[in-house]
Amino acid sequence: MQKTLDRLLTCLAWLSGGGTLLAVSLLLVFLASHGMPGIDAALFFGDTPWLDALLARKPIFGGIWPALVGTFSLVFLASVFSIPLGIASGIYLAEYASDHRHSLLDFMVDLLSGTPSIVMGLFGFTAILALRKTFLPGARTGLLLAGLCIGLLVLPYVIRTTESALEGIPDHLRLLGPSLGLTRWQNINKVLLPLAGRGILSGAILAVGRAAEDTAVILLTGVVAHAGIPGSLADKFEALPFRIYYLAAEHRSPQELEQGFATALVLLLLTGLLFLAAVLLQRSVERRWKTR
Amino acid sequence: MTERAAPIVEVSDLTVSFSGKPVLDAVTLSLWTGRITVLVGSSGSGKTTLLRAINRLNECFPHCRTEGAVRLKLEGRSGDIYKDFLPLPEVRRRVGMVFQTPAVLPFSILKNLTLPLRVTLGIWGNVLSDRVERALQEVSLWDEVKDRLQDAATTLSGGQQQRLCLARILALEPRVLLLDEPTASLDFRTTHKIEELLARLKERYAILAVSHSLSQVRRLADRVLVLREGRIAQELDPQHLQDTHAFQALLDEVF
Ligand SMILES: Nc1ncnc2c1ncn2[C@@H]1O[C@H](COP(=O)(O)OP(=O)(O)OP(=O)(O)O)[C@@H](O)[C@H]1O
Ligand SMILES: [Mg+2]
Repeated sequence: MQKTLDRLLTCLAWLSGGGTLLAVSLLLVFLASHGMPGIDAALFFGDTPWLDALLARKPIFGGIWPALVGTFSLVFLASVFSIPLGIASGIYLAEYASDHRHSLLDFMVDLLSGTPSIVMGLFGFTAILALRKTFLPGARTGLLLAGLCIGLLVLPYVIRTTESALEGIPDHLRLLGPSLGLTRWQNINKVLLPLAGRGILSGAILAVGRAAEDTAVILLTGVVAHAGIPGSLADKFEALPFRIYYLAAEHRSPQELEQGFATALVLLLLTGLLFLAAVLLQRSVERRWKTR
Repeated sequence: MTERAAPIVEVSDLTVSFSGKPVLDAVTLSLWTGRITVLVGSSGSGKTTLLRAINRLNECFPHCRTEGAVRLKLEGRSGDIYKDFLPLPEVRRRVGMVFQTPAVLPFSILKNLTLPLRVTLGIWGNVLSDRVERALQEVSLWDEVKDRLQDAATTLSGGQQQRLCLARILALEPRVLLLDEPTASLDFRTTHKIEELLARLKERYAILAVSHSLSQVRRLADRVLVLREGRIAQELDPQHLQDTHAFQALLDEVF
């Protein structure tokens, strides 16, 4: 009886593992087969020569290059805002907060992670309206606002993973620093954070991925179909997920739909590259931590 | 020989509780340089908690309450470590502790040793490498690791890790050593090596060690304290261990 159950569970584990792999591969094959043919210089730059486009000497019509730049800027802004703040909050929750504050903050973080992204967009939009009516009449939606709102959206991922990575450190390592005469902050900075590095990285990756794909927030905070490359933080912008949505919903020819698939593939590659960069960065930091 | 010399650590009426649950109850003991005091007691009797009370490490746990006094004598001065005698990090550096499970950081062997020296004492350069070498020599680990200082410390064997932890503490120049089962899970030869080392170290440090092995107690102890449910139930000299009656009592008590 026990044995059959054991086998059954083994089977189930294999199946679910295989199932995940299969689903992901199918998705990738589907995307690649539909999107690959559409990837060429024209996809990125439309009819503009690529050198002129890259140097911003001529505007780009019909290419996804501005959307790529837009998404990249969004991810960058959201990360700059959410990763340091999230790590700091995670440290506070795991190492400093008293029981009472811990449960209060836990609730807040849960609330934040349960907030739908469209609500976050709405929040940004209303914030701008409020600013306009009060002390910033010139305020309008744009890149900075969208970056901040997305940062807020992904903040809980970073907080949670940092917190749980720190809390997962076993007692004998947690007490080691203090037992050697390290102060609390020295212990966190020199021992606990390096030990939690991988966990924190996974949170950052999650945040980056989520920031790259979100459409709902930017819809209300400044994305525009043909904005071009944003010249400043206050400008309107384009973004890959929005462009995909737009092409899928309103394509006028099969070519445009193909462009949509190609754009989706580009978005996937972009996030893949960002993950890779995060992993490489973490590796090199870890190597420094381990030896020096 | 040091009977009349003043003890370096005097614990008096030490009471520790976690979340209101008493773990140590009015413990009083003294430690002298030149002697190994061995603490025995069944699992859960509070041995680790007692060691952690002497370097104020229990405070890292929430809901821990400590009462009583731990007087420490350092360079002619003495005072209660629970009453601002010394800054907390310095207390912990002077009263070094090695844990029950070897706590090596997943860094290089070298960094395991240099990190606390650099961070707490700000030592750099040649002084740093001298101290590291001296500490490794002291625990007879230098010859084994001198060519692989950059390797991960986790690649060392259990006994080597335990000695590395000891070296890391010794490099900080403590006066008192708290050793929580320093030879747990080590084989006979490694145990022997560490016991020899402790016998050598006791000349310069006051040592309080937890042991779970009767034969080890007989080999090492200059004094034995029996802890039962948070109280010192008995205090024995090594001669007592030869006395069959007391010996039987000790056996019944803890082993
Ligand atoms: N951080 C803590 N929080 C709550 N209770 C604790 C904590 N540390 C120890 N205790 C309790 O104190 C009692 C004594 O624990 P301690 O670790 O000192 O025992 P020990 O004598 O070292 O046992 P062992 O031989 O198994 O290591 C136990 O009942 C334990 O549950
Ligand atoms: Mg213990």
